[in-house]
Amino acid sequence: MSVVRARGLVKAFGGGRAARRVLDGADLDVELGEVVAVLGRSGSGKSTLLHVVGGLDRVEGGQIEVAGVRVDRQGERGLTRFRRRHVGFVFQFFHLVPELTGEENVLLPGRLHGDSSAAERRGRELIDWLGLSEVANRLPQTLSGGEQQRFALARALVGDPTVLLADEPTGNLDAESGALVLGLLRDVADSGRAVLLVTHDPEAAAVADRLVHLEDGRLVPGAPEPLHAAAAR
Amino acid sequence: MSAAARAAISRLRSRAGRSLLAAAGIVAAAAMLGTAITVSYAFGTGFERSAERADLPDVIARFEEEQLSDVDRRVSALPNLASRSYRLEAKGIDLAAAGGASERGAVHIVRAGRRGYAVTEGRDLSGRSGEVLVERGVAAEWGVEPGEEISVEGLGPQRVVGISVSPDNVAFPLSSDPRIYLAHEGLVESYGPYGAPVNMALVWANDPARIDVTLEQARAVSYGLEDLRFLTQGGIRGLIDQAAGIVIALLVAFSLVALGSAALMLAAAARAEVERRMSTVGVLRALGFSRAGVVGDYALEATLLAAPAGLLGLGLGALAALGPTTGVLESLNQMSPGVPLVGLLALALVGIVAVVAGATAWPAWRAASRPPAQAMRGPVVGSGRSAPRRSLLPGGALGLGMRLVAARRARLAGTVAVLGAATGLVLLMLSLASVLERLQSDPGVIGKRYQLTANGPASLAPAIREIRGVAAAAPRYEVEAADSFELGEAMRLIAFPGDHTVFEAQPLAEGRRVRGDAEAEVGVGLADTLGLRPGSVLPAQLPSGAEVRFRVVGIVRALENEGRVAYVRPRRLAGATSGADRTIAIRLEPGASRAAVTDALDDLGALPEPAVGGATTNNARFLGTLADMLRAVAAVNGLMCLYALVQALALTALERRPAIAVLRAGGAGRRHLALVFGGAAALVVALAGALGLVLERLLLGPAVTELAADYAALPLRAGAGSVAAVIAGLAAVALVSSAWVGRRVAREPVVAGLRAE
Repeated sequence: MSVVRARGLVKAFGGGRAARRVLDGADLDVELGEVVAVLGRSGSGKSTLLHVVGGLDRVEGGQIEVAGVRVDRQGERGLTRFRRRHVGFVFQFFHLVPELTGEENVLLPGRLHGDSSAAERRGRELIDWLGLSEVANRLPQTLSGGEQQRFALARALVGDPTVLLADEPTGNLDAESGALVLGLLRDVADSGRAVLLVTHDPEAAAVADRLVHLEDGRLVPGAPEPLHAAAAR
Repeated sequence: MSAAARAAISRLRSRAGRSLLAAAGIVAAAAMLGTAITVSYAFGTGFERSAERADLPDVIARFEEEQLSDVDRRVSALPNLASRSYRLEAKGIDLAAAGGASERGAVHIVRAGRRGYAVTEGRDLSGRSGEVLVERGVAAEWGVEPGEEISVEGLGPQRVVGISVSPDNVAFPLSSDPRIYLAHEGLVESYGPYGAPVNMALVWANDPARIDVTLEQARAVSYGLEDLRFLTQGGIRGLIDQAAGIVIALLVAFSLVALGSAALMLAAAARAEVERRMSTVGVLRALGFSRAGVVGDYALEATLLAAPAGLLGLGLGALAALGPTTGVLESLNQMSPGVPLVGLLALALVGIVAVVAGATAWPAWRAASRPPAQAMRGPVVGSGRSAPRRSLLPGGALGLGMRLVAARRARLAGTVAVLGAATGLVLLMLSLASVLERLQSDPGVIGKRYQLTANGPASLAPAIREIRGVAAAAPRYEVEAADSFELGEAMRLIAFPGDHTVFEAQPLAEGRRVRGDAEAEVGVGLADTLGLRPGSVLPAQLPSGAEVRFRVVGIVRALENEGRVAYVRPRRLAGATSGADRTIAIRLEPGASRAAVTDALDDLGALPEPAVGGATTNNARFLGTLADMLRAVAAVNGLMCLYALVQALALTALERRPAIAVLRAGGAGRRHLALVFGGAAALVVALAGALGLVLERLLLGPAVTELAADYAALPLRAGAGSVAAVIAGLAAVALVSSAWVGRRVAREPVVAGLRAE
């Protein structure tokens, strides 16, 4: 059964002659334990797809259901609740708060929502699991890109989300760190979550169960042409 | 309009919301400045301005009625004399108008020559019968206008031809005697010659700076004039000061401090605006604009924004202060500031534009000096620490907010400085308000340190001192005496055995305290009248006819009996003390029960008298007007605090858009955001509150107390209630600003924040 189910998604930017539909009838299904990688050229609407699935942005048409929640029907409060309970985000630029240590960044969501004891226990487990214990008390600017992204991953998982949405998680990392992060995303899916991954990185194909690509606002199975070869490797 | 100006206006329009927010800050600071300038100028120059407009004489001499020819013979021989005129003042005359009446009317019958008053409405007396000129305070209080009638005891209805002002006394009803003017010629026309008595001489000097020479000669030729009293312009100002000088001095000081805060805030707001648009600077530089070009554009934009906003703010501030200020000035018989104030406000506008343009140009220059790629990333945030330290700030949303705002230390310091100064000022203002109340009822304000008096023989004093709760008790003698240099000047001798400062310690203006039986401290009023200085001899004729002489060792700023008092020891008063007005002054220990002491006095057979009173003014309207002014200044100040905090939080929100967007992506709602900004606001107001308290305790309070020491003993210190009120106010400002910024941030799409990196 699909934990993410989207049908006929429509999303446009701009107005008048400059209006452009980045999503134009896109359909998507992601199941628990599955890693789905969304590929596509720059500006094709990959991040937008991730944002509307994660309740960060609204669609103009179509339906989205994630973990049994009709995302497209939620008001602002409902979306906030939905994000808190069901979704975790990982971003290309990590977005760690520079004044907080790596561990404090991981524990921040739990502290913010007042459920700190359970979240702290889980956060420390995640830090251990991601091999970050040694650097847990360091500030972000003293960490490598890979370490920062792993802390960001731990922060995304600390709320025990059903779905993990990763937007170019390797876009700012060297090859070795990128491979490590992709491996961890695979592990996350294997632990029973759904992972929706937006990437340019052909290496993502290696960890993904399925590849889809955005073309003229619709999701098409498989990688786009130039990536076929890389994906095949 | 130049192309650059059109482009700048277009840029301002394109971000209308932010431009309006920046303009709002300038309006708030300019309003504060407008208030400060209006209050400072109106009061700082009020007396001189009004004296000039009214052609106030340099000396006013009062004496028992004498024939004009006799007085004029003496006055015309005075050195340094420019001109003179004479009046007959009749007091205790029944006056009645449609809107009010008094049995204490003061009728001034004026003669040809310089008048010594200004006509503000209608016209001056023409010399025809049946005309009367009414003082402005009386006209306002009784609703009298030119053309109406006022009934004068013995003369019947008189037609009001004009309204006058003279700053030689405070206005009715602050002064209890309503004053009107009649022309001597008119009275002669109606009633025939009535003799030519006068009891006032108005003297204008060629060189007012050398008026002491004229006065010295006047005393020398005054033989035969009874109850002669001289009042110089300085003396008049002293009298006015007795009524309102304390408050005026404090308000002027308050305004000067407010002015400093406004300048600081203007600079902070302008700097914040440039930082807000740091990335645009980077883009412009990347496109090939020179540093000077970028800076010029910013300065032009700042000017176009600051000029109208500054004008609006100054106007609002001046209007807010002008009403209550004019009310106080009218109570003091002084003129409104008029055109020169407009000139000052125009100068202030130039200053505001210069500060905003300069404060914009400097950070723009610094921003333009950065590599464009770095500038395009926006303001640099982050701790800059290479190694973590254990933070003292709490975790969670509140702690995060504190850390976010603390990341920009210079801005945090600026915001805390602005809010701290404002907090200190508000605390000072609350202290002032409490002083206004105490002026009416607290004897300590006017130097009296005893709280109770009792009637009984002096021999009871030792027994009274034994009463629980009594710190000190001693007989206090009051003897009404006259200056025995044949001027007949009345004075009051106040005598305590031993150190009188235990019971009455008026501020010492000059010299030292009394140490022996032959010494006296004299009030400023008496010193001015008799020309006394430390080292002079004070000869006093006692009611018994005996004369005693004291050597003046100090001049004190006493308010009692218009300062015509002298503090001495009772031994030289000899037999006079037996017939003197004697009471036992009782000083209580702090916290002692007044009721218990009064009961104990009853048991001793001493008759307790009503509680010792405060200073002069018990005029509710006057105090109400002053309170209005304090409220107007406080309101502007409060708005400024709110804006400064909103500005700081909004800027923090802007800089930290990605971090806040991540929080929102993780499920943080409006409540969580409000908590984050609440934490930021809490840190700012906690630091500002502490700074404000320190400023008030260590700097502002003592400085203003020192300033007021000329008038009365005013230990300015905000009480626990005032401190609590200010803390509550700061908390309210923090709540409102954090809720507002939190709400504003929550309205922005999350993805917009994520794209901001």
